[in-house]
Amino acid sequence: MNPVLLWFHQLGSPPVFDRFAARWAPWCHGIALAVMAVGLWQAFQVPADYQQGDSFRIFYIHVPSAMLSLSIFAVMAAYSAIALIWRIKLCEILAMACAPIGAAFTVITLVTGSIWGKPMWGTWWDWDPRLTTELILLFLYLGVIGLYNAIDDRRTAARAAGFLAIVGVALLPVIKYSVVWWNSLHQGQTISLFGESKMDASMALPFWLMFVGVQFWFAGSLLVRARADNLRREAGKDWVARLVAQP
Amino acid sequence: MSGPSLLQAGKALMVRDLRLLWRRRGDAFQPALFALLVVVLFALALGGEPQALAKVASAVMWVAILLAGLLSLDTLFRGDAEDGSLEQWILAPVPLAWLVAVRVLGHWLTTALPLILATPLLAELLHLPHDQLPVLLASLALGTPLLSLLGAVVAALTVGMRRSGILVALLALPLYVPVLIFGAGSVARSAEGLDAVGALLYLGAGLVLTLVLAPLAAAAAIRIALH
Amino acid sequence: MSYLNYLIGAYAVFAVVMLWDLLAPRLQIRRELRAARLRKGRAAKRAQPVELSR
Repeated sequence: MNPVLLWFHQLGSPPVFDRFAARWAPWCHGIALAVMAVGLWQAFQVPADYQQGDSFRIFYIHVPSAMLSLSIFAVMAAYSAIALIWRIKLCEILAMACAPIGAAFTVITLVTGSIWGKPMWGTWWDWDPRLTTELILLFLYLGVIGLYNAIDDRRTAARAAGFLAIVGVALLPVIKYSVVWWNSLHQGQTISLFGESKMDASMALPFWLMFVGVQFWFAGSLLVRARADNLRREAGKDWVARLVAQP
Repeated sequence: MSGPSLLQAGKALMVRDLRLLWRRRGDAFQPALFALLVVVLFALALGGEPQALAKVASAVMWVAILLAGLLSLDTLFRGDAEDGSLEQWILAPVPLAWLVAVRVLGHWLTTALPLILATPLLAELLHLPHDQLPVLLASLALGTPLLSLLGAVVAALTVGMRRSGILVALLALPLYVPVLIFGAGSVARSAEGLDAVGALLYLGAGLVLTLVLAPLAAAAAIRIALH
Repeated sequence: MSYLNYLIGAYAVFAVVMLWDLLAPRLQIRRELRAARLRKGRAAKRAQPVELSR
């Protein structure tokens, strides 16, 4: 059998996945921290923006988080679709593990955006399309998490919440479009996230470093959370008992 | 052998309620999230413009918190009704009204208090003028216990019913109207530069009266509902 | 105007949320393994034959 396919199938076995996740999660987090450390150090090397001063540096946290908050939702929906169609248990676990991470990055996006906005626009919040859609995205994440926790049977819960994620990802463009359309009715509110400064190479490097760093962070957190959920589902099985030492 | 004192029974009930809530602590955020969603809906419906929102901010806050409290009424007695604990309450050596009062206090602490704490954040989303915030918080501090107590009476009346959702709302909302009028009205008056103390005093007086009467009414309602 | 406070605030939020994301699942794993260990201990006790005496 194709070795890649074999490895893929083996990963679906709970004990094998547990070992895999335990092994690779620290590496992912380690690489993420290293890359982000360099990225943030670089972010402070960049000269201060003539309009926004040092607060511009919030950009280097805010934008990668925003991009990740959207991409994680898509990943979550993809895993859910695979789980629903092919009934692969591991994909259910991975899908549900995405939700809290995505919610966390959405919160980071909203709060850092609000903090960045205060000195720039004079207000902590504005009902403009990007902010509004991001807030609704947070509600979608919390909905998936809430539904997963509300149903007792883990498989049914994952399937229901996964279905909600798929519905969410399908409706997300509609929500985004509706908010943009609504905003176009009330002109004079468009706020440019990037301001005057264009991204030249020196400013782009920290951004790309942070972008890569958070991706590795997501991978690491996904593995740890999936491992935790896996252990919880498999509680009482023999392989879990073999994992722990005699009390 | 004498039964437990009021304080002992009350403490035991409170500890039990808090422990049960702690096991499902994620649920404690739901009223606050609902209020936030209502705020979002109003902001989108009103067009999102800061000046327009600022004018109605306190009113929207009051409605959002009132509705969030309304939805959380369902959990007040349902759990105990389903597993038979409510009947034990009726048979308990302590007055039923006392148990109801303690239950409502716990419920208010865990549903309304987070809402009040979230109010500054939600108010900021609605661009509430900062000088209105203290009056808003005061009106909520007086008004939400009133809403909880009045809601408890309605929840007690409908405790036996299968699908009481909208019925609870229809029954409770008329009772909520005076609270809303004085509560939101107090902030509206302070916004116009008039004195809000009068409205707040009315709320306070209503609260004192309801503190005494509502648990008795709810106790009678439970007895009616469970027969 | 000092942008420093805003900068610190934003980076602090980032650090706190990331720290939570790092620790929360690891604590959960620890809890699960502890529960498994306790389960194992209970099962071992059940497996031991109980001496009946008259």
